[in-house]
Amino acid sequence: MIDSTELVDTKNSTQAKKIFGDQDVYEQELERIFGRCWLFLAHECMLEKTGDFITTTMAEDPVVVTRAKDGSINAFINSCSHRGNRVCTADSGNSKSFVCNYHGWVFGSDGSLVDVPLEETCYHGDIDKSKFGLPKIRVESYRGFVFGCFDDDAPSLNDYLGDWGWYLDTFMVGAGEGMELVGPPMKSTLKCNWKVPAENFVGDAYHVGWTHAAALEVLGGELAMLAGNTAEMPYDQLGLQVTTRHGHGFGVIRQAAASIHVKREGFDKFNQEMIPKVAEKLGQPRADLFDGHWNCTTFPSCSFLYGTNIFKVWHPRGPNEIEVWSYVLVHKSMDDATKKEVVKQAVRSFGTAGTLESDDGDNMVNATSINKGAQARKNRMSSTMAQGHEGPHPDYPGIVGSSFVGETSYRGFYRFYQEIMNADSWQAIHEKDDEWDDMFENKDFWKNKLAGDK
Amino acid sequence: MHDIQPTDRVSLEEHYAISQHAYAEARMLQNHQYKEWLEEIVADDIHLWMPVTERRYRKDKRPEPGPDDMAIYSDDYSEVKQRVDRMYTGTVWMEDPASDIKYLLTNIEAFHTDQADLFKVYTNVAYIRHRQQDERTEHVGSRIDLLRKVGDKFQLVRRKITLDARVTVDKNLYFFG
Repeated sequence: MIDSTELVDTKNSTQAKKIFGDQDVYEQELERIFGRCWLFLAHECMLEKTGDFITTTMAEDPVVVTRAKDGSINAFINSCSHRGNRVCTADSGNSKSFVCNYHGWVFGSDGSLVDVPLEETCYHGDIDKSKFGLPKIRVESYRGFVFGCFDDDAPSLNDYLGDWGWYLDTFMVGAGEGMELVGPPMKSTLKCNWKVPAENFVGDAYHVGWTHAAALEVLGGELAMLAGNTAEMPYDQLGLQVTTRHGHGFGVIRQAAASIHVKREGFDKFNQEMIPKVAEKLGQPRADLFDGHWNCTTFPSCSFLYGTNIFKVWHPRGPNEIEVWSYVLVHKSMDDATKKEVVKQAVRSFGTAGTLESDDGDNMVNATSINKGAQARKNRMSSTMAQGHEGPHPDYPGIVGSSFVGETSYRGFYRFYQEIMNADSWQAIHEKDDEWDDMFENKDFWKNKLAGDK
Repeated sequence: MHDIQPTDRVSLEEHYAISQHAYAEARMLQNHQYKEWLEEIVADDIHLWMPVTERRYRKDKRPEPGPDDMAIYSDDYSEVKQRVDRMYTGTVWMEDPASDIKYLLTNIEAFHTDQADLFKVYTNVAYIRHRQQDERTEHVGSRIDLLRKVGDKFQLVRRKITLDARVTVDKNLYFFG
C-alpha cells in the first residue's frame, strides 16, 4: 500500500509527479477510489422505456445499465457468470434480455439468469440459476443523473455529493424542470492520466486565457478579454471557487454562462427568464451564480461546464490513458430549437473537434508522459495559487476561494484524494467529517474580506 | 440537401474533372492553405457534417442520425470560417510546430443529380496525421459530397463524413475536409 501523504502534501499544496502515470498508484486508485466512489452511469432520459439499456464502464469494468420491468434502473457487470464473456456488445438499445455469444446463457434486464442451453440434458437439471445472476451494482439517482457504486458501505449518493448537491440544485432544481443529457456520447482517447482533466475541470480557470487564447480570440464574447492574460481585470470580483467534503468542486465566472456560445439567442433568453425563478426557489446566493459559467468535477472523474454545457466522463484506461465521453447538458424545459442550439454550440467548443477541446490535448498528454523520465517523476507539482485566500463563507457551503482563477478546488480535490487513498473504509472517512477542512486555515478570510468590501 | 439522390454516373471526362478537383482540394489542405480552401472550394451555403454513430444491434430499428442529432461537425459557412480563422491567430500552440496531414482519397464515384449543376460524389478517405516526434494517427471513413458546378469549377455544398471508428483514437478531430 502506498502512503498517500507522500503523494499529496496538503500543507504545502504539492503533489508527487508520479501520481500521473505510476502503475502502483493507479492500482490503488482502482480499488480505493473507483471501487468506493459513486461513478456516473447515465441520465434517466436515456432509459425511458422498459428494456432500454446502455453500456458504459466504471473505471475499466464494463457495465450494462437497464430499465427493468418494475421501472427500476439496474446496473450490473457486463460479464457472463459462466465463463466471463461480455453479454452486451452494443452501445445502447432496447432488449428484454442479453444473450451471451459464447454459450448462449440468457440474462433478463434485471441481470438475473433466465435460461441456460442444454440445462436438462447436459447440466442434468443440476444448476441453481438464481445463483448465477450478473453481479449487481448499487444504483442511485440525483436529479435524474444515475450513478453506480461498488461499495455497499459508501454513503448514499445524496450524502456523497453533500454540499455539492446544494450547488448542483442551482440549475438542476432552480431553473425549469431540471436538466437532461443529449447523446450519443462522442468518444475519444487521450494518452493522459485521468486526474489531469479532472483537476483541470475542478479548478483551472487559470489556463483559459493562455491555452485557449486562439479560440477566445475568434469566438469573441465575454471571455475574449481573458485571451493572452493581458487585460487588467478585477479577478477577485468576477467569480468564486469552491471545494467540498468529498473533493467535488467548481469555479464560477459570474454572468458568463453562455460566453463560449456564438449563437445563443434562445439560451440567453432562457437564462434571463430563469434568474428570478432561481431566486424565488432557492434564494439570492444561488441566483447570483446561476448565470455564471461553471467548471466542475464531481469526484473522481465526472466533469462538466455549466453554461458551455459540455458534460464529460474521464474513463481511466490504465495510468497513462483515458477514454473521454462527451455529452451535452440541456434544460428539459428549453424549447427544441434552443436545445439544438445549445447542443451544437457545446460540441463546437468542447466536442471531439471542438475549437477549445483541440487546445487542451497536448497539455494533458505531456503532463503525463513526462513522468516516464525517472528523474522527472521524482519532482513535485504545485497548486499554491491564492492559498489562504479562501475559507468558510456566510452564504455558500464548503470552502470558498476568492477568485475563479485560483487553486482552491485543486487543493480540495487532492485533499480528498489523499484521504480516500489512505482510508481503510468509508467509516474511517466519516470519522473525519468534522475536521476535513482544517487545512484551510484562514477561517476568517471571508469575514474580513466582506467587512473590508463594505 | 444531404438527401439529394444520385442519378446517372458522370462521363469519363466529368469524372476526371471531379477527381482532379478532389485531389487539388486535398493538396491545398495538406499545404495548410485554409483561407484559399475556404475561398476557392467552400460554397456559401455549405453544411459540413460528421455525425456520431453508435454501435447498435442489427435488430435496432432506430433511424440513422440526421442533421439535427449529435454531430462532431455540423458547420455552416460562418462556423467553418471561424475554424479557419483560428488557425491564423498565431496562438494555436498545438499546431506550432505544425502537424502534417495526408488525405488518401480512393473509390471515387461521381453521379449526376436531378439538378443539372449538382453532382453527388462518394469517396473513401484516410486522414493520416503526424505530429511532434512520433505521434501518428489515422482516421478512416467515407465522404459523401454534393458539388455545385460554377463555370468550370466546383464548389462544396454538402459534405457528410462518416468515420468507421466508434472511439476516436486521437486528441481531437480538428482538421478540414
